Amino acid sequence: MQFVSQFLSYLLPVLYLILLYIYYNIFTGKNRKYESKTQTLLLVLLIIHGIEIVLRQLYLKAMPLSSAFDASSFLAFSILLVYYIIERSFENRASGFFIILFAFFPALVSAFNHVWEKESNPLLANPTFAIHASLNVIGYTALAISAIYALMYIIQYKNIKQRRFNRIYDQLPPVTYLENMSKRAVLIGIILMGVGIMMGHFQTKQAFGRYFFWDPKVIITDFIWLMYLSVYVTSHFKKWSARSMAYLSIFGFSILLVSIIIVFSVGKSFHEFY
Amino acid sequence: MNTHIPLSLIGISHKTAEVEIREEVAFSKEEQIELNKKLIKEFNLKGSIVLSTCNRTEIYLSGDLSINEINEIRVWLNSFKKCNCFTSDKYFYVYQGKEATYHFFKVISGLDSQIIGEPQITGQVKEAYNLSHDSHSTDALLNKLFNYGLQAQKKVRNETFLSDGAVSISFAGVELARKIFTGLANKKALLIGAGDTAELAALHFLEKGVGQIYIANRTFDKAEVLAKRFNGEAFTLDQLPWVLGEVDIVISATASTEFILTREIVEPILKKRSQNPLFIIDLAIPRDIDPELDTLDTVYLYNLDDLNEIVQMNLAKRKEEIPKAEKIILQHVHEFVQWISTHASSQIINQLREYFEQLRKRELVRLRSRLPDEGMEHVEYLTESIINKIMHQHIKVLKKNINNPQLYEQYLDFLFEMYEFEKK
Repeated sequence: MQFVSQFLSYLLPVLYLILLYIYYNIFTGKNRKYESKTQTLLLVLLIIHGIEIVLRQLYLKAMPLSSAFDASSFLAFSILLVYYIIERSFENRASGFFIILFAFFPALVSAFNHVWEKESNPLLANPTFAIHASLNVIGYTALAISAIYALMYIIQYKNIKQRRFNRIYDQLPPVTYLENMSKRAVLIGIILMGVGIMMGHFQTKQAFGRYFFWDPKVIITDFIWLMYLSVYVTSHFKKWSARSMAYLSIFGFSILLVSIIIVFSVGKSFHEFY
Repeated sequence: MNTHIPLSLIGISHKTAEVEIREEVAFSKEEQIELNKKLIKEFNLKGSIVLSTCNRTEIYLSGDLSINEINEIRVWLNSFKKCNCFTSDKYFYVYQGKEATYHFFKVISGLDSQIIGEPQITGQVKEAYNLSHDSHSTDALLNKLFNYGLQAQKKVRNETFLSDGAVSISFAGVELARKIFTGLANKKALLIGAGDTAELAALHFLEKGVGQIYIANRTFDKAEVLAKRFNGEAFTLDQLPWVLGEVDIVISATASTEFILTREIVEPILKKRSQNPLFIIDLAIPRDIDPELDTLDTVYLYNLDDLNEIVQMNLAKRKEEIPKAEKIILQHVHEFVQWISTHASSQIINQLREYFEQLRKRELVRLRSRLPDEGMEHVEYLTESIINKIMHQHIKVLKKNINNPQLYEQYLDFLFEMYEFEKK
């Protein structure tokens, strides 16, 4: 089982890269041959990635997301799943290249950093932890998707404003579509992350009898979540333009990403308290 | 030796003649039906399709025709249409065989159109084919020609950008609107001015699904007339600030020498619109809209020059796709030629089978008087078996050479000569 799971985890970045290449050809118009097959290819990759995640957890006898690189792999999977749903709903493949590019990197990072030692920490074997971690990761996914759509919005906005009618202009969806997708994704991210954070606090109280508000990861996640929430609410009342919101979404996600990298680089694990 | 395709084309188009000449040789639907039937009867043809549009008149004829016979048809067409254009080599072109096939595939794919890649021609060809087919004026060759042509057209449309991009000012405006808004169905457009230019642009937006049209004009009565036409609402220019808060698209084409919309008018309205985007098309010269407006975040302002640039760019993009499209068409011509070969071989196989069967029956009749009845069924079985084995060998060699047109043609000619068949 370990061999199969390891093999699949090394295979995954290659498959992501192949899919990325196909979407690049579709986006640039170089080859439209695979346009009608993208949903099938996405589904196949999702199934393979899903099998890889399940096999690894079965082998490790742990709940999913018990390590940083587990979370990274799950992040890639979530991004791909969300994109699959978007493409099926809207039949628009223009954002595929950008979103799959974003999914490729966590898949690549996790493939070469998995730990194959079985988990012994009872906290991480608790199902509630898995729910907390999953909600947070899916929340991060939604914020990532929001940032990607925000980036595409900025590109298309500038294309239209500066009369740049290139292939990218042709392929990208309308600016209002990109704006709405970014807004929806950020709202979903705020809600899911909010529930995930509450669950995390609840779980530590249950397990340790107190809250750990001074854990670096907790500080960063809570702060970023509060930042996203306050900006979202303020923009609604102050009627900020879509362009400002797009820049804020990209900025917010960049901060989130950098903070996570710092915490994982400096810290020994997700949280200091286990 | 090339595969023989018994197809001829007599045609005139925007490339060879001005509109005054093309008008003389255009055929109405009733004339097309009549012409198809008469051509088939008079010249012993297998089928005929007449394609008559504002840019071309082309007559596709199925049957083995020599150049002299085609010239006779041209003379006959002159008398049918009471003109002398059809015999003019200056205006009319004649293609036969593979050339005619290639031309047809180009026409149906929009490669021969005045605006490359225009989609209307496909519908026009379909209509011409249906007219002919429904009046029993097509044969297997023309039916297959049409089918292969359609396949080529679909592949060109799906695998190239030949038909993509707006190539008129109004459609460029609609296309831009589609890049700003997710759909036009629930969008409202404001027309400033009640002249022809703005009216045409508004018509295109309505055709593409814009939900509601408002008309604002200096003269309210003129605005009302146009509003009735579009089932919209009329306003005066004083009411512009209010109307701007309600619409998503503005098309301006007045004769004003001053700016109708300035930053001072528009900026305060943007916040009231909850920062929803406002797409403004300025079709006037001198311009109606202050260019300063384009610096506002949620305003997208385009003038005539901008839209024209889009049109030119799209035309250039389409031209770049021509080699790709021609390659696809050539592939389909090759497939059509292969079908002709296979079709010819199935004809000859039927002829061979008939020949051998008749030979077998004749010999059996001769033999029956000399042999007892007992055992005749064994003789019948024996002769059938021998014929089948001979046929099998012939079919095997035909199929073996199907991808080698030269050898295939040689073998066919040999069979025709050896068994003294008539070529159908």
